[in-house]
Amino acid sequence: MTQDPDRPTHFGNETVRESEKAGRVRGVFTSVASKYDIMNDVMSAGVHRIWKDAMMDWLAPRPGQRLLDVAGGTGDIAFRFLKRAGTGHATVLDLTEGMLVAGRKRAEADRMADSLDWVVGDAMALPFADNSFDVYTISFGIRNVTRPQDALAEAFRVLRPGGRLMVLEFSHLPNAALQKAYDLYSFNVIPRMGQMIAGDRASYQYLVESIRRFPDQETFLGMVRDAGFGNAKYRNLSMGIAALHSGWKL
Amino acid sequence: MTEAPQPAFDPRMLEALICPLTHGPLTYDAEQQELVSRSAGLAFPIRGGIPVMLEDEARRLD
Repeated sequence: MTQDPDRPTHFGNETVRESEKAGRVRGVFTSVASKYDIMNDVMSAGVHRIWKDAMMDWLAPRPGQRLLDVAGGTGDIAFRFLKRAGTGHATVLDLTEGMLVAGRKRAEADRMADSLDWVVGDAMALPFADNSFDVYTISFGIRNVTRPQDALAEAFRVLRPGGRLMVLEFSHLPNAALQKAYDLYSFNVIPRMGQMIAGDRASYQYLVESIRRFPDQETFLGMVRDAGFGNAKYRNLSMGIAALHSGWKL
Repeated sequence: MTEAPQPAFDPRMLEALICPLTHGPLTYDAEQQELVSRSAGLAFPIRGGIPVMLEDEARRLD
């Protein structure tokens, strides 16, 4: 894919140059890092936990597997994965140092320290060799990547043959009335909650705009297939407020 | 009040990490707390034990 730093892209509903987007995304997540977990609970009424558990149910981690969790921030996916796998290893990669520092402070991180690595890096240029992981996950992260198709290509590269991709992301509701009700909630309520809880309206405004702009289920499924993944499928969560996409490096 | 000591970089991580730009090998400079990619001419910083594998954050080698 071409890499023109001046090419326009979106940052929420703003138009910015591609070269600016990563810095802006890092600004958002540096700003929200310390309150990120509690905000997720409040915004989704705790439902993000159910979605992450649904992700693990479909993924079915097995003992000894090596996970790369991209945009893994505070460790939510890595901790769940290691608990279910029993034994294994998880590398958590995030663009934002502050998110990883917050994750490493959590009690689970201490208990699982020997099975965890924390790395600051870019989903579009992973610092790992080809064929080095059994599982690649990205949870509520890929919509923040400047070129999601490039991130999927990198996922394919670092997975071993037979390895599994699993993407959890906000998605689209199946009919216009529901989507309208959801938009009313997300555009009116979430930035205000961000202001009240994290003292940061702008970052949460970005979050809701970026959710609305992300491709729908079928479009993203096409992107997963274009990256080379086989047996690609998706499942809706909470009627499509979020979706899980799965694919295999066959 | 004293801050808790920062976790150290675990050199075992070098087995997994490569240069994100060239895919070449990295060497660990313990004194500077950097991961050096000769092939890219870049040194990636390690902060609080966490390697920062971003081109924007790397120091250009002379």
